[in-house]
Amino acid sequence: MDISSLLRFLLRRIIKSVLVVIAIVICNFLLIHAAPGDPATVMAGQSGSADPQFMAQLRHQFGLDLPLYEQLWIYLKGVLTLDLGFSHRMQVSVASLLLDRLPATLLLTGTSFVIAIVGGVTLGALAARRVGHWSDSAITVVALAFYATPLFWVGLMLVLLFSVKLEWLPSFGMSDPGSNLHGIALAWDICQHLVLPSLTLGLFYLAVYARLTRATMLEVLSQDFVKTARAKGVPESRVISVHVLRNALLPVITFAGIQAGQLIGGSILVETVFAWPGIGRLAFEALLARDYQVLMGVFFCTSVVVVIFNLLTDLLYAVVDPRVEVST
Amino acid sequence: MNFARRFCRHPGAVIGLVVLILVIAMALLAPILFPGSPWDMAGAPFEPPGEDGMLLGTDSLGRDVAAGIAYGARVSLLVGAVSTVVSLFIGVALGAIAGYLGGLVDDLVMRFTEFFQTIPSFVLAILLVAIFTPSISSIIAAIAVVSWPPVARVVRAEFMSLRSREFVQAAQVLGKRPLGIVLTDILPNALSPIIVLASLMTASAILLESSLSFLGLGDPNLMSWGFLIGSGRSVIRLAWWMSVFPGLAIFATVLALNLVGEGLSDALNPRLRKRGAKP
Amino acid sequence: MSLLSVENLTIGLPSGGDRANAIENVTLQINPGEIVCVVGESGSGKSMTANATMGLLPPGLPVRSGRIMFEGIDLLTQSPEQLRRLRGARLAMIFQEPMTALNPLMRVGDQISEALRMHGDTSAATRVPELLAAVNLPDPKNLARAYPFRLSGGQRQRVMIAMALALEPSLLIADEPTTALDVTTQMQILRLIREIQTRRHTGVLFITHDFGVVAEIADRVAVMQHGRIVETGTAAEVLNNPQHPYTQALIAAVPRGIARATGPTQPGEPVLRMKGVVKTYRRGGGLFAKGTSFQAVHDADFVLHRGETLGIVGESGSGKSTLARCVVGLVTPERGEIKFNGSELRALSATAWKPFRRHIQMVFQDPYASLNPRRSVGDAIAEGPILHGTSRAKALDRARDLLRLVQLDAGAMDRFPHEFSGGQRQRIGLARALAMEPELLIADEPVSALDVSVQAQVLGLLADIRKRLGLTMLFITHDLRVAAEICDRVAVMQRGAIVEQGETGSVFNAPNHTYTQALLDSIPGRHWTPPESA
Repeated sequence: MDISSLLRFLLRRIIKSVLVVIAIVICNFLLIHAAPGDPATVMAGQSGSADPQFMAQLRHQFGLDLPLYEQLWIYLKGVLTLDLGFSHRMQVSVASLLLDRLPATLLLTGTSFVIAIVGGVTLGALAARRVGHWSDSAITVVALAFYATPLFWVGLMLVLLFSVKLEWLPSFGMSDPGSNLHGIALAWDICQHLVLPSLTLGLFYLAVYARLTRATMLEVLSQDFVKTARAKGVPESRVISVHVLRNALLPVITFAGIQAGQLIGGSILVETVFAWPGIGRLAFEALLARDYQVLMGVFFCTSVVVVIFNLLTDLLYAVVDPRVEVST
Repeated sequence: MNFARRFCRHPGAVIGLVVLILVIAMALLAPILFPGSPWDMAGAPFEPPGEDGMLLGTDSLGRDVAAGIAYGARVSLLVGAVSTVVSLFIGVALGAIAGYLGGLVDDLVMRFTEFFQTIPSFVLAILLVAIFTPSISSIIAAIAVVSWPPVARVVRAEFMSLRSREFVQAAQVLGKRPLGIVLTDILPNALSPIIVLASLMTASAILLESSLSFLGLGDPNLMSWGFLIGSGRSVIRLAWWMSVFPGLAIFATVLALNLVGEGLSDALNPRLRKRGAKP
Repeated sequence: MSLLSVENLTIGLPSGGDRANAIENVTLQINPGEIVCVVGESGSGKSMTANATMGLLPPGLPVRSGRIMFEGIDLLTQSPEQLRRLRGARLAMIFQEPMTALNPLMRVGDQISEALRMHGDTSAATRVPELLAAVNLPDPKNLARAYPFRLSGGQRQRVMIAMALALEPSLLIADEPTTALDVTTQMQILRLIREIQTRRHTGVLFITHDFGVVAEIADRVAVMQHGRIVETGTAAEVLNNPQHPYTQALIAAVPRGIARATGPTQPGEPVLRMKGVVKTYRRGGGLFAKGTSFQAVHDADFVLHRGETLGIVGESGSGKSTLARCVVGLVTPERGEIKFNGSELRALSATAWKPFRRHIQMVFQDPYASLNPRRSVGDAIAEGPILHGTSRAKALDRARDLLRLVQLDAGAMDRFPHEFSGGQRQRIGLARALAMEPELLIADEPVSALDVSVQAQVLGLLADIRKRLGLTMLFITHDLRVAAEICDRVAVMQRGAIVEQGETGSVFNAPNHTYTQALLDSIPGRHWTPPESA
């Protein structure tokens, strides 16, 4: 696809993404108003409801006696200026809380995603190459097993095994509290803390990608152009790596985009188990305290991350598959 | 019967079915196996498994873990089944409308479905349950609301492919009404993927439910597997059995459902076209 | 020395198949510079020998005995790496489905240069445009940079040929390369293969099911049935003096392409009148982009008289199927008149259509998709009458009668479609259409998906029923030979318009339009007159 049509495609997708984000904000708004009880109470959360001054401030801020669409407009304006509310419990703005915790989550989910994709595609491709062989059955069974276990339980079991029994790896937090580490030492410490949580989150999705890759590769292997390549005298290794893999990866790219939302959702569970200081853990704490503004901020933030990720996967797909330009 | 034979060709599927039946049996027989409420104290706190007649140990308040698992099975199975049914309803309806009518309606429904698939479903589920206060009905509703998009996609794809199939056109030429065509020609042929999907969705519904109750969003009156694991999290060094056994129960049930789903998928496959595949 | 010599080759099938061996004791020879055609219907094993020669047999099919001698080497004893080096360089193969035979993610030129590179030839930059030009593709330099989806079926097949011949192999195996192509494109490709073969003295193993193609290009012929070769010989011998009963039956089943005037000499009153019908399709477009539109049907006026059979002949994209669907109301044209016995059909609502359904019915093309797999045969046939008020018992009785009429056993009533063969399913489809006792029957390529021998039977059945019930028929087909068998008059369609129509005999012997002439010239084996069957 040439540059100009790529740019046009990008523009169309960005417009679509912006519309999606606006729709999410409206969704948030509707949720507040659909909840039982007074929207102000909902927004204030448990600790805020007790503070009459805070409540009055909230009522004023959201204009709760104005007609609904005006309230929506106020809310939209607020979000678009990145004013996501104020957490009474933590006494800071929601936006600053999110910004503070986002990097840790991105580190965790990013690492997990890489583990999942690299491991999953490799194992799936291996299984497809040796279909029927015992290694294929082994991979399929292991993938199935990981697919069936709840994330939080895998996390706990890993903690049990590696932290409690074997004492190889730390089980909580992102780095050792109290120790004043800098530079390389800090990075190494974070890495050690990163191993178990990213494995937990990554293994589940590794299973998903392994199964998917195996299925798509088997399907591509049965297509005519693979036979053509062999008939030309192309060595089998190249048939797989050049002809089959690229075609088989197309559905994997699409699927990665769809799975992004679930990956981020999973980080809530993993961060809770490992006390990882990210957005997920923030959501858990907010949940306990019924701090709805923070919760909705988390929803908004994670949705935006997913939308951006989807944009990137769509772009990647368009670059890899030359047919996309024609259909849009 | 061909179907049963094809299903039984998969050892995994048969094992899955057996395990599933066992879990259902355990759920149904819970009041008989463990009379009383699982919330009752049954022994001393933190008793390791095997001691004092407690097969799987007791928790921090002396409750029997085995009883908790048996009663938890009821919650998980109930939530899994009902939320799947509701999800299927929504998904089949939307997918059928989009697939059969096509055009603008299809566009709108697909945009709506894509939107729901983009937003992080677990976060939305948490939000919904938290806002509408946790109870078994809010949990079921939340799970159903976030789970229907894959169903709609599959049903839409099936309907679109079937709608242009020649036997549907033949029915139109015979003078059949659209609703009649949908109900008697298209739907019966679209059932197979829906049934397979139902099995897989029940599995993910159970995972979702246990995740929600692990985070403390379960129905406070009902003992569930996720809740057991959640309460065992902080004392994992003291009492590993509180976390391990309920997790195994989830694992076994979800795995069984997935295996059954795969067996169904193969058994229900439309008969392969015997066009005398060129030998 | 022969180029390829297959000696007593037997390849087994996994247990549970139709027979024990896919092919048995197959012996075949190809000399340099000759074209040998292997003819058979589906299931005959004709592709199997080709796949075995190339070393591309699917796993699970053991070679039980025999040798394949190619240029003095036994291919069956070669290691995979040795075979790989031969493939593409000394022997090459092209396949049937051009739409799926090329990697959709790779440029066409890159796929050809890959073939060169894999065998150590680094002259790709100059060779690729040469090769593309040699297969008569326009603008070779730019075409090499195109992706497959931009090319038509015929163009893709030419690319395949260019790729196969890149390294100048001594043997080319062609597995039904023209079956999926339009008639005119088929003739072009056949001529191309012939030309290249003469120029380079390549040996060609050409697999086909169509005796017309055999007549067009073969030097020698081998006929296969149920995995065995039943007859071999030079083309002249086998085509004009077939010995084996199966060969004789196959040749007898080939539609002649000679017009038979069978219709009523007095045309009855007009039953169907199409005037000024226009159907436009919009492709692409969505919420943000504008699509393109094209007219599938525009200038296609004709009149169909009672008791006659009008053939609508055209290649893919000619609009013939759309035209048929306009008549039955599956598709609504924007403009024009469709008059059935005087009543206007074009803009009728679904309810207004109901009374006409009794009178106009349709038989479809794909026997594997035209019957509801979950409905028993009896129910499928009886469904129509029941919808229109007949009692269930009476409708089922009628279904039994119809099954007899289409020469199927009445026991078929309770069986399901998957238990029947393609030809049998078409008969069931015909019975279903006839259940409504229609005046007008529209047959949309009813025999295109069937094997040649079955084709002849179903055509014979149609002709017979037409005469018995006095049906008026609109027969859609892409095959002029089939049209000649059964149609009184013929209308030729090209790009949505009828370019010529008239009595079959006059259109065939003295065509007016250049396109009709081109179609007639593209009938493979036109110069061959099959012997009259004993």
